[in-house]
Amino acid sequence: MLIVKNITKKYGKNVAVDNLSFAVADGEIFGLLGENGAGKTTTFRIIMGLLEANAGEVTLDGKKIDYNETDHIGFVTEERSLLTKLSVQEQIEFYGTLKGLEKEEIDKRLDYWLDRFEISSYKTRKIKELSKGNQQKIQFISAIINEPKLLILDEPFTGLDPINVKLIKDAIYDLKKKGTSIIFSSHQMEYIEDFCEKLVLLVKGHAILEGKLSDIKSNYAKKNIMVKGSNIEIDAIKKIKGVISVTENQGEYCIKVEDKSIAPKIFNIVKKGDVTKYDVADASLNEIFIEAVGGIHE
Amino acid sequence: MNKKFWYLTKMSFNKKAKSKWFIITNIILLIFIVALFNISTIIEFFGGDFDSKTKLIVVDNASVYDIFDANLETLNEDDDFEITLGNENVEDIKENLSNDELIVVINGDNEEYLTSELISNEKIDSLTYQIILQALNSTKSVVGMMSEGIDANVLANISSNITIERTILNEENNTDENMDMVMSTVFPTLILPFFMLIIFLVQMVGGEICEEKTTRSMEIIIGNVSPKMHLMSKVLASNLFVILQGILLILYCVIAYLVSLALGGASIGSMVDVGSILDMLNLSSIGSSLIIVIPIAIVMIILSFVAYALVAGILASMTVNIEDFNQLQTPIMLISLAGYYLAIMAAMFDGSIFIRIISYLPFLSVFISPTLFILGQVTVIDMIISLVVLILFIYVMLKFGLKVYKAGILNYSSGKVWSKLFKAIRER
Repeated sequence: MLIVKNITKKYGKNVAVDNLSFAVADGEIFGLLGENGAGKTTTFRIIMGLLEANAGEVTLDGKKIDYNETDHIGFVTEERSLLTKLSVQEQIEFYGTLKGLEKEEIDKRLDYWLDRFEISSYKTRKIKELSKGNQQKIQFISAIINEPKLLILDEPFTGLDPINVKLIKDAIYDLKKKGTSIIFSSHQMEYIEDFCEKLVLLVKGHAILEGKLSDIKSNYAKKNIMVKGSNIEIDAIKKIKGVISVTENQGEYCIKVEDKSIAPKIFNIVKKGDVTKYDVADASLNEIFIEAVGGIHE
Repeated sequence: MNKKFWYLTKMSFNKKAKSKWFIITNIILLIFIVALFNISTIIEFFGGDFDSKTKLIVVDNASVYDIFDANLETLNEDDDFEITLGNENVEDIKENLSNDELIVVINGDNEEYLTSELISNEKIDSLTYQIILQALNSTKSVVGMMSEGIDANVLANISSNITIERTILNEENNTDENMDMVMSTVFPTLILPFFMLIIFLVQMVGGEICEEKTTRSMEIIIGNVSPKMHLMSKVLASNLFVILQGILLILYCVIAYLVSLALGGASIGSMVDVGSILDMLNLSSIGSSLIIVIPIAIVMIILSFVAYALVAGILASMTVNIEDFNQLQTPIMLISLAGYYLAIMAAMFDGSIFIRIISYLPFLSVFISPTLFILGQVTVIDMIISLVVLILFIYVMLKFGLKVYKAGILNYSSGKVWSKLFKAIRER
């Protein structure tokens, strides 16, 4: 289990991370969100032991993270961290050996993952000769070759098509099942919603939202009411107090409301038409993110 | 952790030693050195000839041919001349004169005893001219001596060089003036490869760190090994690499020499006259100096390689791309270049306090200190001072430079390089 406790990191007068705390249990996927420059990379570097926090501590299974513990951590960086002049095999052997693995074990695991990701033929090819998507797969393999206790994924799906996204997603779920603690960071909120049970949202190094994803979404007052049908009096709906906006996409209306108490008033109007769909949904994480971050900036 | 250190070192060394450019560079070096050692054979093959003789046609109007011939024979140690007496008219000889032929017309003169005219198709080289001039002067002396009735022994005693018995009372400074000749002929050749190796070393360390930084691999590497271990592995790998390259260069010279022996042609060895250099070494008592200077110089070379590699690594850690590193490494290159030239010109600075102080400075000491010692301008104590200063410099680099390295390798902001450096040094 990873525990991040009250960590603060300052660069001169700038506070990059401000008293941040969270915990990631074994077999849990945790989302770390934030706009660019929010402090995510600094947090990852503190967890990896690359940076020393000015205050607070980070422990993995109760032990302070040092160079022995980092052997059990995998890290997919946002930008590809591959030595492009090396072959796939050399690259994985390089990182695997730095994680304390023996060559034979690395080769065995590499063969398994190359086969699973359907790129066995690229084993002896130079990294620079591979497509962006395949390079991303190799980066992912390099991070999990040590079967980590903690896996940090910073934008792991960059450059991947939907089929390859699924391959990586399945691998992540398998690692979760085996008990790996996973920290996931992405600007694509649908991935966060898809993966994470818990998350923290950072703005300027400070956590402004944290907790279970389901709780965050249900506690967020604004709702989206999805309506489909004909002869619906949209103008009447727009006049209801508490309706923020009404948008239409391919015959389906999305009515944003201040809170769920507005929903019955809208339903009373909608039911007069020929309605085929009426659904009160939580706001998307994307909307929550934009409003939360935007609110702080305002 | 030791396993990771040796793995990083091996990885770094293999990356260079097994690279295509290393193999290509060494093939070119081998060809170049073998060619240099066998240059006369190559020239002969393409139609030129270092061994071809200059034909002298003497038109003797003063009846001194035998004397001139004897004098030229004395000076013609390498058997470069073929002398014949021209019986035809000068104008006739001129008409059929080839490029490797010279006409020497010798005329009698009442006042100067002899005058001469030298005729050739092209400009002749200065050595040939000097030998002919000397032979003519000697001939003139003999003619003059005979005309004035001077005894040959008397003339020989008058014109011979004065005998000097050389004594230097300062035992620590007992190298003599022959060393200047040794320094000007041998030393530039010996230290040029060393200068080249320093360039290889700096570029290897800097290039690798820059590559790891720009590809962001550094975050993964430093996540698993400490920055200190990472830098030390680069320093060791680069030192092993340049030592390998140095050994290969020596090996290429041996191969080139053996090839020249096999071909039987005039090698560069015979051209620079190794025998006379060895004689000079004996005359100058350098042999006894070498016993002291070689072990100290080897230690100094290895420590200087370490110092150069440390500084290159630290500078590379502060850059964000290879262009930045190329700019930052320029001062190192200029310093080592200055050291190279100062070492070559060291003989000119006899007694200079300035050059003595310069010889203590890291980066420069490896070039200058052994040179000054061989020249007798500094003592063993001075060399040891240079070594101590070098060791202190390496200690400072490890203490403060490592802080810069640790802060620099994960920093990607391109501005305020020096501000980042001093800030990192101040941090605890």
